[in-house]
Amino acid sequence: MRIKTISRSVDEFTRERSQDLQRVFHNFDPSLRPMEKAVEYQRALTAAKLEKIFARPFVGAMDGHRDGISCMAKNPNYLKGIFSASMDGDIRLWDIATRRTVCQFPGHQGAVRGLTVSTDGNVLVSCGTDCNVRLWSVPRPSLEDSDLSSEKSTEVVHCLFFLITLYSLVLLFILITSFFLSQPSAVYTCKNALLAVDHQFEGDLFATAGAQLDIWNHNRSQPVQSFTSGSHSVISVRFNPGEPDILATSSGDNHISIYDIRMSSAARKILMRTKTNSIAWNPMEPMNFTAANEDGNCYSFDGRKNEEAKCVHKDHVSAVMDIDFSPTGREFVTGSYDRSVRIFPYNGGHSREIYHTKRMQRVFCVKYSSDATYVISGSDDTNLRLWKAKASEQLGVILPREQKKHEYNEAVKNRYKHLPEIKRIVRHRHLPKPIYKAKAESRAMNDAKRRKDERRKAHSAPGTVVTESHRTRRIIKEVE
Amino acid sequence: MGGLKRKSSSSAKTLAKSKKKKGPHLPNSILKVIANQKRPLNSDEEDDDVIGSDDEHGGDLYEYEEGVPEEESRKNNRYDRHDNYDYELPEDFEDENVESEDDDDGGNNDNDEAEGDDDDDDDDRHTRMLQSLTGMPSAAFEGESKSKPVLFTEAYPEGEFNPTRDVLEGKNVLTEEDFLAPLEGTPGYQKTSKQIARMRKDTKHVVHAPLPKPQRERLERKAVIGLVDEEFSKWVHLVKKNREAPTVYFNQDVDLGYSTVGAIASEFQPRTDFEKKMASVLNDSEVSEAHRDDGARLLELNEVSMEDHIKDRNHIAKMRSLLFRHELKSKRIKKIKSKTYHRLKNKDLKNSSLGALIDPEMAKEEAMRQEAKRVEERMTLKHKNTGKWAKRMISRGLNVKYDGTKAAIAEQLQMNATLSRKMNSMRDGSSSDESDDEEELNDGSDEDTPSRLIAKAKEKTLRALEDDEVPNAGLMSLPFMARAMKKKNEEANEEAKRALEEYEEWENSGGENSKKTVNVSGRRVFGATAKVEAPKESRKDSDNFYDDSDSDNDMAGIEDNNIEPVRDNASPARNTITDTEKFDDDVAGNPASKTTFDVAMFASGSWKKMTGSKNTESKKASKKTRAPTPQAQDKKGSRDEESEDSESEAEEMVDGVLTFASKETFEVPSQAELINRAFAGDDVLDEFEKDKEEVLNQEVPKPEKPVLVPGWGNWTDIQRKRGISKQMVQKHEAEKKEWEQGLKTRKDARLKHVIISEKVDKKAEKLHTTTLPFPYTSKEVFEHSMRMPIGPEFNPSTIVGELNRPEVVKKTGVIIKPVKFEEVNPNDEVDDEHPRNHQKQRPKKKTSRRQGKVKSK
Repeated sequence: MRIKTISRSVDEFTRERSQDLQRVFHNFDPSLRPMEKAVEYQRALTAAKLEKIFARPFVGAMDGHRDGISCMAKNPNYLKGIFSASMDGDIRLWDIATRRTVCQFPGHQGAVRGLTVSTDGNVLVSCGTDCNVRLWSVPRPSLEDSDLSSEKSTEVVHCLFFLITLYSLVLLFILITSFFLSQPSAVYTCKNALLAVDHQFEGDLFATAGAQLDIWNHNRSQPVQSFTSGSHSVISVRFNPGEPDILATSSGDNHISIYDIRMSSAARKILMRTKTNSIAWNPMEPMNFTAANEDGNCYSFDGRKNEEAKCVHKDHVSAVMDIDFSPTGREFVTGSYDRSVRIFPYNGGHSREIYHTKRMQRVFCVKYSSDATYVISGSDDTNLRLWKAKASEQLGVILPREQKKHEYNEAVKNRYKHLPEIKRIVRHRHLPKPIYKAKAESRAMNDAKRRKDERRKAHSAPGTVVTESHRTRRIIKEVE
Repeated sequence: MGGLKRKSSSSAKTLAKSKKKKGPHLPNSILKVIANQKRPLNSDEEDDDVIGSDDEHGGDLYEYEEGVPEEESRKNNRYDRHDNYDYELPEDFEDENVESEDDDDGGNNDNDEAEGDDDDDDDDRHTRMLQSLTGMPSAAFEGESKSKPVLFTEAYPEGEFNPTRDVLEGKNVLTEEDFLAPLEGTPGYQKTSKQIARMRKDTKHVVHAPLPKPQRERLERKAVIGLVDEEFSKWVHLVKKNREAPTVYFNQDVDLGYSTVGAIASEFQPRTDFEKKMASVLNDSEVSEAHRDDGARLLELNEVSMEDHIKDRNHIAKMRSLLFRHELKSKRIKKIKSKTYHRLKNKDLKNSSLGALIDPEMAKEEAMRQEAKRVEERMTLKHKNTGKWAKRMISRGLNVKYDGTKAAIAEQLQMNATLSRKMNSMRDGSSSDESDDEEELNDGSDEDTPSRLIAKAKEKTLRALEDDEVPNAGLMSLPFMARAMKKKNEEANEEAKRALEEYEEWENSGGENSKKTVNVSGRRVFGATAKVEAPKESRKDSDNFYDDSDSDNDMAGIEDNNIEPVRDNASPARNTITDTEKFDDDVAGNPASKTTFDVAMFASGSWKKMTGSKNTESKKASKKTRAPTPQAQDKKGSRDEESEDSESEAEEMVDGVLTFASKETFEVPSQAELINRAFAGDDVLDEFEKDKEEVLNQEVPKPEKPVLVPGWGNWTDIQRKRGISKQMVQKHEAEKKEWEQGLKTRKDARLKHVIISEKVDKKAEKLHTTTLPFPYTSKEVFEHSMRMPIGPEFNPSTIVGELNRPEVVKKTGVIIKPVKFEEVNPNDEVDDEHPRNHQKQRPKKKTSRRQGKVKSK
């Protein structure tokens, strides 16, 4: 005869410390808990509401420039450093953790239009309307940073937040003393004003855009290679982080071109109806890139099929000035002329988040931090602003149980996000009046247009009127 | 060429010069020929010039030279550059005929002076010149001159950008032979010709002319596109894998520092003196070694020094003396005889509740006190809404209004109930009477011979007659109640007496009647073979009988009496006798009876057996109807109770009616008939229709008719005459139309006996989506994805983490590098085996649910 007994050893149930959790046994028979769905729905609702309550995305502003910010560059090798340049030729290096200027790079006569840092984080390249390309050596992270990160090559922002409280005095002293002016290590002069610059990922080439596309080497005063196309100038250039030899440019004649710098001519050219202000490659999907367009939309393309966009990201009501992908490749951030910053999912038609403040003016440049936790925007009001990428995220060290709770809340919310009440709460955003009005107006216009098209279609012979899809509407052709 | 220094011939000269510079090295003579032939026809003077130059060779002819207009001389670029189109031939000028003429000329009359053509003259002179220069026979030049065209039609001077038409057409192109011909016979000729022949065969190394730029660029781009696409395509599998993975992990292998207590402890460095001391002891190599060994040396190490020993001993002595002093003190206290002192001391002890632990007697006392408290609580009935608060709440009706108050009061009552129950349980015999009665009844129902039954009934009736005492407390003690009771009792007594008489009769009639006694049961099935007896006894009697028998509960009796009139209404119908066929007709023809029939079936489940084939369609309807006759059910229920009192084995049931058999009046009514009779009073159909109308009005409200309200819109006569405004009428009509439409589109619009509620449940609505969410393609898949809960309460902790894992797992503060290429096998299944935390290797288990999740994506 066999007898089933419950046997529980004392060792298993004895806690090591008084803070340890008691072991609890559950019976997971669903018949014992008939209300599980209702319970989870209610939790999802609560989670959605909590998310709204804790949504405080704005971390702080960095002021110091005396003119509108024109461009920014993040240091690929150092999380806390970000470079910004303004329209008066001022370039600064900021420490994000303390939100202070660490270093200044004076020299440019006109507006600085392009800024980029080499992958190892040692060389800063700037270019501007004074036809100069300047190379600067980036100062090594100063004493207080080396203390933190010399042993490990990782930089932990939240760790620093903690440390600030401990060593704030020391830090302050060091910061004041470490603030210095830098001299360019090289100055190369071109014939034309330069509008953009970008550095190759893990290489020593960088590309400048102006009247033509030039590829430079760090050590040469003349471009290694030049690409000319048409009479219009090239507005923006961006290297592919996954494929270091491939880059994409946009030009004033509404073209987007993909180049392989090993070849002598452009690979692909797309002609669009409006100008593209900026391009960002997806760092996790090297064939995909997203273009920030003048018409307020962003267009995601597959580098291999350009006759139609993969996805049209709509929400901005004015030209999108800059775009940057999250290092995770799942999101990208855009800054727009409508004074707002938005975060889009890489495959979603509408934005997940909108950031704005009363004082923020036209946003000219945005960057996603290298750890995908923060977003930095530079705007016309001479300020850089630091935002959280997830508005309601809890910063700092999170205990495992807390982390689990957050994850569960997120999962439950995600599961019930289609239900009307939760959808409403999650989607709700307060918009500035001008954006709200402009959106309403554009919606009315689009509706009218759609109605008209429908009627036209209904009253003409079948097949004669064809509505073009949004994905191809703004693309004129792919140049052969 | 001649040494002409005139500026007018500059163009021709430059041409020749350029030829010399850029073209292949030709002999001078040929150059000259070419120059002559391809002379531009740009202007007359230039022609003249050439003629002049030729003339110079022949004889020294001088001609007037017209100056070039300043515009054309392009001196100093003072004038805009433009061409003189006056004498120019059109671009599409075709001179086929002329040329053919020329050819003819060249062929036939080569030296024809009659033609008077300058060109012919030139040719002639030219050959002569060549002859003289080269020393070769004129025939060599003859053929050449024959083949070439005579007329120059080119608008521009010939050059590398403006080849002649011949060249473009492919005629008359110079070949290698042309150049080799003069060299024939010279040393090295063979070699050269061989080389040339070889070169001609070798097509590989031929350099073709470059394509036009746009075409070239297009081709180039095509090539680059192919290359770039190839580069991109190699990423596809990796990207696909990343996209399909339920979770993407970033930087999981980066070590951020300690995460366990052990790891932190291992890095511990003693800082204070105490810590250092402890560490020195703990880390003593001898001790650790001893531990590692059998431990025998530990004893040796444990040796205590003399000083320590003395210290220890002193300490113990001190403790002992302290203990002794305490003992003495307690002895002294015990000796004190003062009662007050002890009382106070005990009180202190009690208050500190420490005493209970010490003294068992005290504990007993404590328990007694607790018990007393409980008894007191029960006696005061604090919890039976007698408190000030409860009274106030009830008097103000707040207990109805607020849920919290209601709950509190209910809780109090509940507490009271438990307490009182305990009191009841103490005295045992209170409920035993009832149970005895019940037992008796049960016995009767189990094995009741009619005689015994009658005897029992008699006994009961007698008992009921005997105990007439009026309760002298409570509601029943009120005068009007007492009067009513008395009256009722009198009636009951009369009934009882009558019943007694009847019993006696039955007893007398004995065995033959005993089989005919009636069984009253509400839930028996009408068997087809059942004998049915016509009701004889009036309905009222049976009720009274019931009243009497249930002597325990007078109130119940009153209630039953109240129901009586309804039943009396029914009784005439019950007495009518109809046969089965007639009933069938009724069922077919009369919807009213049909519904009653259905309802009856609905009311008691066991009756379904007799729903014959006739009523199948009505049965369907009846299932959907709400039970419209609660009253009927009530009645039936009461009858059921009643039936329990008296039963006999082989008797048939006539619903709720006590009947007696008498052979002469007996006739078999059909079952349908019986049902019909039973529910003759209830107008179910009407009720149902009313119900339905009500529901319809609620769900699709009828629009109100516009009316002229005095004072509104009828101030003047004209207004009044006009009546209700057109607008209002129109609006009303539209509303009415809408209403009608709404009624028509209802699901139960055509179903007469059915109400299908279309009321939207607002609370349930928020749990539904209006449309199918985006990634899902079918409702089933979506519902399946929502089926199982994901919370930690509903799932074992081993899979909760996986169920709740976000799409992206990253570490804050760690730089995420762009994707690096790696080969991915496209046939590999996407799985999520990446350990969450590299320090804790968890079992790599895949749950079926998660796989489902992946698939649904």
